[in-house]
Amino acid sequence: MDLKKKIKSLLQHAELYKSQGLLNEALEKYVHAGRIIKKHAAVIGNKKLLPAVAKRIKILKAEINRIEASPDMSVVPENVQDIIKNKFAFTDREETRDLEGAVALAKFGQYDRALREFRVLMDREDLKVNAAKNIIRCHVTLNAMSDAVGQYREWFDQSALRPEELNKLRVFLQSILDKKGIKETLPGKEPEPIVREAIVEDPGIMDGEIILPELVQGEILGDADAEEEIIDISSVEITLEEGPGKWRTVEYDVSFQSGRVINLLISSSDKALIEILRTGLELKKVHFYSPIAMFNGEGVVFSKSRIESGPKQGDYSLDIQIKHIR
Amino acid sequence: MANINLKKREIECKIVYYGPGRCGKTTNLDYIFRHFQKQVTGEMVTTETDGDRTLFFDFLPMGLGKIRGYDVRLQLYTVPGQVKYSATRKMVLREVDGLVFVADSLAVRRQKNVLSLKDLHGNLKEYGLSIFKVPLVMQYNKRDLVEQGIPIMSLTTMERDLNRQLKAPSFPASALRGDGVGDTLKTCIKLTLKSLRKQMGW
Ligand SMILES: Nc1nc2c(ncn2[C@@H]2O[C@H](COP(=O)(O)OP(=O)(O)O)[C@@H](O)[C@H]2O)c(=O)[nH]1
Ligand SMILES: [Mg+2]
Repeated sequence: MDLKKKIKSLLQHAELYKSQGLLNEALEKYVHAGRIIKKHAAVIGNKKLLPAVAKRIKILKAEINRIEASPDMSVVPENVQDIIKNKFAFTDREETRDLEGAVALAKFGQYDRALREFRVLMDREDLKVNAAKNIIRCHVTLNAMSDAVGQYREWFDQSALRPEELNKLRVFLQSILDKKGIKETLPGKEPEPIVREAIVEDPGIMDGEIILPELVQGEILGDADAEEEIIDISSVEITLEEGPGKWRTVEYDVSFQSGRVINLLISSSDKALIEILRTGLELKKVHFYSPIAMFNGEGVVFSKSRIESGPKQGDYSLDIQIKHIR
Repeated sequence: MANINLKKREIECKIVYYGPGRCGKTTNLDYIFRHFQKQVTGEMVTTETDGDRTLFFDFLPMGLGKIRGYDVRLQLYTVPGQVKYSATRKMVLREVDGLVFVADSLAVRRQKNVLSLKDLHGNLKEYGLSIFKVPLVMQYNKRDLVEQGIPIMSLTTMERDLNRQLKAPSFPASALRGDGVGDTLKTCIKLTLKSLRKQMGW
């Protein structure tokens, strides 16, 4: 009879969808079949059918819930990490490729491996400080502030870094600690303040030559900051137009920085903000805070994506490209 | 744009298989891995979670031999299909050279196909790419299921839903059996190399 055929066909479809991994579609068919069986119980007469279908539904629902609730495998095997490192390092500059690769690992949530890579990169003179900062950023992203501090202290004790390098890291991490309200003063000291001013103020003493102040200053600055092409931004304050004439200012810590692109993590609870910050949005009013100074500038939302695994799951990752700094 | 290493005379092209969850992207790569051994240059790497769902991507390296003295390498990727993996999809799509959109022929997946194509369109736009200009091939997969008596969309319906404006080359396929898999890939490679030639001024 028609009814039985209909039920049979629904159950067959359900099985097939299930075998294709289309669990919701399978569930729908089972539920539909169940409804018909219930409604026409008297006509069908098979008392075992409904419990059997109900059991299938229960198993399927459990499976759907399990997949949805299970934390996504956040650490992938080494060979996959290698691909992330090698194939997702998008840069035109050969020199920074390895650094970009390690940043990509961090972006895919592979923090342990990223840390390992950053540590290796600390042997490279040109990337040393940048790699060290990213190590700190990894710890900060994982909210492991004591690890960040411990790491700094290790560097401090080992004297593997030059004093001016160490100082950059101290200033960098200290500002993060201060902002988070963590009472901890990192060991280290300000470098001898401003040798350059002494020279600038009295250029005459240098071998009797008159040296133009700008030149001297330029040289000293250039030397100390040779590896630093872009300033480090530790946090940003963005003023956004929420509606016509309605302004809102938000402040965020920078979780990663790669050249002119800074990455912010925005909590999933801040829905309105996530909505406003669409890709391509020009940010006309941004304060960029570096550990030592504040700059005004502009940026543009470069990409926005939801984090799918790891401790920050559900939050949004936002890349902002720095346009101008004044 | 393809990754061109002038010094090593190497060109790396990236082809991404896109489409809704469970449409058969991984199955396509699986088949290619097993049947195009001459072109495959390394292991296929998959990132599947316990529900055998792709987590980050699948990856398959291939070689196309030399073109104008350049060693042309091809990397095939799939994206995770589930809606919640949008960030990963976008990362995988970065610097894509060619695309295969795999659509599921099952009638129950009609809307999912359309949504996924829209998602692709949006993601490309964010990288400054136009879906109308990127080398793109459509694949209507799972045609073998017709024999199972399950509701399957006609090719005309799928063309109308997905390809009316794009007018991309399209192929019916059964990735499980391998029908149409080679044609899809070859056409995509052809379009990708054509666009590469244009970029290189060859
Ligand atoms: N019958 C049939 N099943 C297919 C075909 N292609 C894929 N499948 C099945 O569809 C399910 C999902 O395939 P998969 O390749 O993992 O999809 P992905 O999520 O796009 O990677 C698996 O159970 C496959 O066996 C096909 O052409 N015919
Ligand atoms: Mg897959």
